[in-house]
Amino acid sequence: MTDKIEREFLGFGLGLRTKHFEYILQHQPDIDWFEILSENYMVAGGKPRYYLQAISEQYPLVMHGVSLSIGSADPLDMDYLRALKTLANDVEPKWISDHICWTGIHGINSHDLLPLPYTMETVRHVAERISRVQDFLGRQILMENVSSYLSYQDSEMDEWTFVSEVAKASDSLILLDINNVYVSARNHGFEPMDYLNRIDPARVQQFHLAGHSDYGDYVIDTHDHDVPDSVWDLYRQALVRFGAVSTMIERDANIPEFPVLEAELGIARDIATQVLSPNQLSIADLARNRGVKSCLA
Amino acid sequence: MPGLKYTQNTVMQYLLQPDAGARESLAELVVDQGNVSLETRMGIYANAYRIRLKEVIETDHEQLCFYLGDELFERMADEFIAASPSQNRSLRGFCEPLPEFLAEDEFFSQYPILADIARFERRLLTAFDAADTNREEFAALAALPPEQWPAVCLRFHPSVQLFRCASNAVETWQALKQGLEVPGADYSGWRYWLIWRGRSRLTEFISLQPWQLVLVEAVIAGENFAGLCELMLDFFDESQAPAQVFESLKAWFEMGLIRSLVVSD
Repeated sequence: MTDKIEREFLGFGLGLRTKHFEYILQHQPDIDWFEILSENYMVAGGKPRYYLQAISEQYPLVMHGVSLSIGSADPLDMDYLRALKTLANDVEPKWISDHICWTGIHGINSHDLLPLPYTMETVRHVAERISRVQDFLGRQILMENVSSYLSYQDSEMDEWTFVSEVAKASDSLILLDINNVYVSARNHGFEPMDYLNRIDPARVQQFHLAGHSDYGDYVIDTHDHDVPDSVWDLYRQALVRFGAVSTMIERDANIPEFPVLEAELGIARDIATQVLSPNQLSIADLARNRGVKSCLA
Repeated sequence: MPGLKYTQNTVMQYLLQPDAGARESLAELVVDQGNVSLETRMGIYANAYRIRLKEVIETDHEQLCFYLGDELFERMADEFIAASPSQNRSLRGFCEPLPEFLAEDEFFSQYPILADIARFERRLLTAFDAADTNREEFAALAALPPEQWPAVCLRFHPSVQLFRCASNAVETWQALKQGLEVPGADYSGWRYWLIWRGRSRLTEFISLQPWQLVLVEAVIAGENFAGLCELMLDFFDESQAPAQVFESLKAWFEMGLIRSLVVSD
């Protein structure tokens, strides 16, 4: 089934972090693409924009935001969307993503990816807003599942049903965070494969991998550790179900030197090579020809 | 069913002020999932909220935090976070109200240098992110016919900013940054600084003498070369004033401060 899905496969990427700007320009590491945090570049100029421009000339980029607050009861922040669109015009990303969550209410921002109640009311609310965002940006966007630590009493469905319903109702794509699935599975006591098995492969455009902090009874999504074996195992199963999906590792704290992350990304490549056929991974080889527009794009 | 708005209100109230009442209101909306207590589950969000904002203060105001030391930093961070919930979509704007908070808070306002250090650090951040533009070379000015010089005006690079304070905040910031002995607070007079982002994209600053301040302010106000020379007569005699202006402008070009030249009508 997965062979028939038409999705752009960029290969294996990393989150672009300030600490690595200079290294990337000097060494031009063999990374297929980078994901940028959109908000970090919504500035007029200076060092971040300089490095972004230089790196964008050598690598495909995707934009990943944390401030869309798509599930908030507040109105959509049109100033934010205008800034996002301006940045997208400059960066020309392969795609734009954010999270299925809310971050604030009454104009106050928690700067956290807070969980939503999984109700039909919320599905309609979120889907309608995603549709408006897609119309404004003139493109389909990807929405990511967040990790969570609590559930609301009024939830009417599982998280995977909620994520699927939102994607379907808004005709948006899914950025499936494998680590977040694992973290939430541990915190809420469900089987992670139950989650993966109910997500429509045709909607999945990108994977996130990351590390977390394990406190025994619960797990916190900290992005400050290596990707653990438990997440690699789930990634392997995700590849079986979804096929070749552009994969990247997020590291936001305790960030190691670039070669360490590059080696960790090599594990993802190795697993994908074991699970998928060369035919499935062939588009990634083209994408690795940096600076050359793929004929398949 | 409580509805989305009510749920989000309740969660936000809990994050902002996780007291017994807010905990109780949120607990009514949340499922008790057994092995991990509701208190722990809710606490993860409340802790993350504070930790994240404290990290922003530490990152954006590193020298201020060193100056305060651990105990006072914790006090300042807790009180500022409680007093100024973030209204920015980006964390980089969270500390915008910090200088004002330090200047008005009953305890911290006893030490005006704190607000000055915070203001200085915010100016550095503004210069860091300011728009990129071309920088003009001195040769462009030198190439102008002499008769056009009196009418020429300069435009500063967007990163250029003036900073003035009545304390030795910048000297203190420098000592902290370099790990040197920190001087005592000195409120003996006004000090003026020019901040900009150089050609190498590093943020730089220099102190200004009162006559240099007048010169910078006049350029910002759009004064032409003739007007600048006239202003300098308050500080130098007639034979020296044009030379002072000329030398200052030449240095500014070399420092990358000048974006463009405009010949006024």
